[in-house]
Amino acid sequence: MAETANLATAPNRMAKRDPRREGAAGSRRVFIRKETLIALLFVLPGLALAILFKLVPLLRGIWLSFLETRGFEDPTFAGLANYRTMLADPSVHDSFRNALIAFATLPVWIVLPLVLAFLLFQKTPGWKFFRAAFFLPYMIAPIVVGIMFRQILAPDGPLNAVLRAIGLAPLAIEWLNGPTSALLALTAVALWSFFGLGVLTYLSGLSTVSEEVVEAAKLDGAGFWRLLFHIIMPLLKSVIGYWAVLCTSGILIWMFPLIYALTKGGPGTATVLPEFLVFTTTFQFLDRGLGAAIGMALFVFVAIVSAFVVRRMYVEGAQKK
Amino acid sequence: MTSTSLAAGGRRRSARAMLAGLAFASMTALAGPAALAADTTTIRVLNWEPGGADYWKALVAEFEKQNPDIKVELETVPFDRYPEVQGPYITTKSGPDVMENNAGLELFDRRRAYAELPPEVLEAGKDLITYSGGCLNFDTTKACYGLPFGYQGNVMYYNKKVLAEAGLDPANPPKTWDEMGAACEKVKAVGKTCLAIGLSGIFPAYWDFPEIARNYLTEDDMRAMLAGKMPWTDPKMVNILKGLASITEKGWTNSSAPSITMLPDGADIFQSGNAAFAGTIISDAVNWAAFGKVLGDENLGAMRWPTLVADAPLANSFSGIESSVFGVTSWSDKKDAAFKFVKFIAGKENAELLTKIAGGISLNKNVDPSVMPKSQALSQILEIIKTPTLHAGVLLSGQEADALARGWQEVALGRLSVEDWTGRMQKALEQSPSKRQ
Amino acid sequence: MTATAASDKMTVSSMRIVLARWLVTAVLVVLAVVTLYPLIFTVINSLKTRAAYSADPLGFLTDITFENYLETFERMKVWRLLLNSIITTAGGLVLSTVAALFIAYAVTKLKMRGGNYIFLFVIAMLVIPSQVIIYPLYETILDLGFGGTYQGLILAYAAFGLPLGTYLLSAYFRAIPDELIEAARLDGAGDIRILFSILLPISTPAIAALSILNFVWMWNDLLLPLVIMGGSEKKTLMVGVALLSGQYDVSIPLISAGLIVALAPVIVVYMLFQRQILSGAIAGAVR
Repeated sequence: MAETANLATAPNRMAKRDPRREGAAGSRRVFIRKETLIALLFVLPGLALAILFKLVPLLRGIWLSFLETRGFEDPTFAGLANYRTMLADPSVHDSFRNALIAFATLPVWIVLPLVLAFLLFQKTPGWKFFRAAFFLPYMIAPIVVGIMFRQILAPDGPLNAVLRAIGLAPLAIEWLNGPTSALLALTAVALWSFFGLGVLTYLSGLSTVSEEVVEAAKLDGAGFWRLLFHIIMPLLKSVIGYWAVLCTSGILIWMFPLIYALTKGGPGTATVLPEFLVFTTTFQFLDRGLGAAIGMALFVFVAIVSAFVVRRMYVEGAQKK
Repeated sequence: MTSTSLAAGGRRRSARAMLAGLAFASMTALAGPAALAADTTTIRVLNWEPGGADYWKALVAEFEKQNPDIKVELETVPFDRYPEVQGPYITTKSGPDVMENNAGLELFDRRRAYAELPPEVLEAGKDLITYSGGCLNFDTTKACYGLPFGYQGNVMYYNKKVLAEAGLDPANPPKTWDEMGAACEKVKAVGKTCLAIGLSGIFPAYWDFPEIARNYLTEDDMRAMLAGKMPWTDPKMVNILKGLASITEKGWTNSSAPSITMLPDGADIFQSGNAAFAGTIISDAVNWAAFGKVLGDENLGAMRWPTLVADAPLANSFSGIESSVFGVTSWSDKKDAAFKFVKFIAGKENAELLTKIAGGISLNKNVDPSVMPKSQALSQILEIIKTPTLHAGVLLSGQEADALARGWQEVALGRLSVEDWTGRMQKALEQSPSKRQ
Repeated sequence: MTATAASDKMTVSSMRIVLARWLVTAVLVVLAVVTLYPLIFTVINSLKTRAAYSADPLGFLTDITFENYLETFERMKVWRLLLNSIITTAGGLVLSTVAALFIAYAVTKLKMRGGNYIFLFVIAMLVIPSQVIIYPLYETILDLGFGGTYQGLILAYAAFGLPLGTYLLSAYFRAIPDELIEAARLDGAGDIRILFSILLPISTPAIAALSILNFVWMWNDLLLPLVIMGGSEKKTLMVGVALLSGQYDVSIPLISAGLIVALAPVIVVYMLFQRQILSGAIAGAVR
């Protein structure tokens, strides 16, 4: 009976074996699918967040840029009209020009924190206090920063008072009145806010630099600056690259609350950067279609600049190696 | 085994019974207030708390006392970020039941978001000195979208002590442009600023422009401005720009003017006693009461802006405008309750609260004058507001106000000519959504 | 003779070193003053009366008054707003970090196909300007049903903080040797266990660094709470502080007091996490 049972089940088993063989291949397929599935599950939350709260609004924004929006009347499709207006509008050109001028200060944003970090790295007396002090500005909301500096940069403010006291009276100009000086002051204030973050970033980078390399260079007679530029910088290439990208988006995007608080884009349009122009166009001029078009231009601009910065940093890094 | 399972079952059953009892109890507890809530309507009111938080606490309390079946949920947003919150509500036709906007073009631009006020609500407006700022084109026979409660407009405050110090008669401040010029020379001679002003931001457009405009425009001209039919190249408008430019060109102002804001920086210069004049507003306690508190009520005076054209028809009028206007949103599903709120806004109780707590000047004719604080500046203001006319500032579109303020900054710095400023203003007019022809 | 000459040279050079050190300290002190002065300025302002501030904006205190702080607490429901900020910021931080951890793990350790594209996509979301997407973001939030809710703001914060987190954690994970993971897998550990029992403890420095960065901007942000919460009572502390300046009533001492109140928690958090931030986290990450 067991034999007949076996015989009975044998063809079944045979039949079962075949699909199992396919199943073997199939289970190999299942195995791969399972792995990708798991990976997908891991990626899903973040991807969903990024898509829902950034990509979808961005796409809707692109759609908005193709609409003509007169105040709060019903929008009508207008194709590339907003883009044509934008390209012809001198205030848009001016804002991007201001952005480029502000962006030209990027080397200072990159190098100054590095120098300071290296100084602190020497563990001069009180370095821990300085480290904390430098980071403090980052924690202060931009609104406050704007209000504070409007007072500090006033013609009779403390900055000018100090400049006059140390004999630099010709420098005690009306900082926020002149177009270039206002833009410069704005960038300087932004740098003031941000540089502590850079110092911290570089400091942690420096802590990965091996002692021996530095010692060897010192024994070779390398002074502070040579150490910094010829030994440290190449070693920290990727940290510098990361910080550079952060600064790029910081200068081009993050400055908005600061502009609003400090100068409101004035005097005239001297400190209007594209992000601020998007704000006034959308909310003061009630033209959100045009605002979206300018915003898209800004997005492309920032993306290109960031990609450029990244490539330079990493290409150089590769070349050095 | 059976006994323990029975016991266990028993325990389980009693646990379940307890849970069931708890659930039932909590449901009835929730149902209690829920049942009550079913009888009250909650309306959401979006505002920037004009007049201050204390005033609004009292306002809501008084309204809810009068209307026990309506609950008010205040959604208060900072004034300068209001467009960023209101805008998306309007485009998505969702959100609050009651909103506010400044009277004039700002309200008209958003009329599609508001429900037209029915006649029974407009009844409440009959007790107001005026409510045309909430109606299309300032015409109460046309559609009205909201009712106001406070009055607003521009005066020039002066510091009597500074005037005396400069050798001027504090009882007789300058009335004409030339007198102002002479006075400023004397004030500058004692080392003080003559006219404290801040050109950053759009307040100069709303506060100073109308005062100069009254010298050159008639009410018909202003209506043409509103309709976009008054080009900035018109000689009248150019004269206004020239008038504004002369304020800074003649050195009447503080040198920091182009880069400071009127509030708080410019006002602070005046409050600190370092300036003789400041052109601000009458609305809320902020200016006459705040200045009076800091400088001393006896030192503060209020006057009309000096005239450029003394015999102009509107030269001695007052640029008056309803401050903010509250209306019912077109998408609200609680319009009845919301209309009641709007009626309350225009009513007598709110007027008294405004005067007593916020120190504002009410539009309601039935306000007991004895409720108002005693202050010489206030009595002067009350005289000035007796001859109102249209307020040219609220006829400016967002583009025009922006171009006006920024242009003035550059003119003050000598970097822009009045002609080019005129060109910019004209371009701004042509880009204004409601003024494009 | 050579010995003395040599020792002379050493004293000269050691003097130079001492001088250099003092110069460096001087420079750092100047910078620290520049860094700290505005904050001190704000604190001083917060202790002045309005009149005293108008009279002498830049002077020192003559009479200390706490009326500004009292008024801040009266006008804002500080504790409720503080709670709102804590809920939304903590929620956004946790969600953002967890999502970033997952992506970093999938991209660097699971080596999924197309992982790099996903990585780049998430990072690219960093450069979208915020002003542009106010209207579309609100519309999307409304469509998802999150208008005026804690969840909406938490999710938005998480989405905005995700790129930075993904970048830092991915780089940090890449530096962790694969053998560690392999060994754990051979031991039979599942992916979740590997992630939370092995990688997470190792990455605490990176997570701490990431957290303080995200925490600061989430705490100080005004735009997202305004767009998502509007004026509802779930608004954050920063929005409350912005409300201290009314339409025509702008008092610098009052705003200063409000801002100090809003800043205090940030400083506390910074003090607590100082060591983690500086323990080689970021550079270890981007090596």
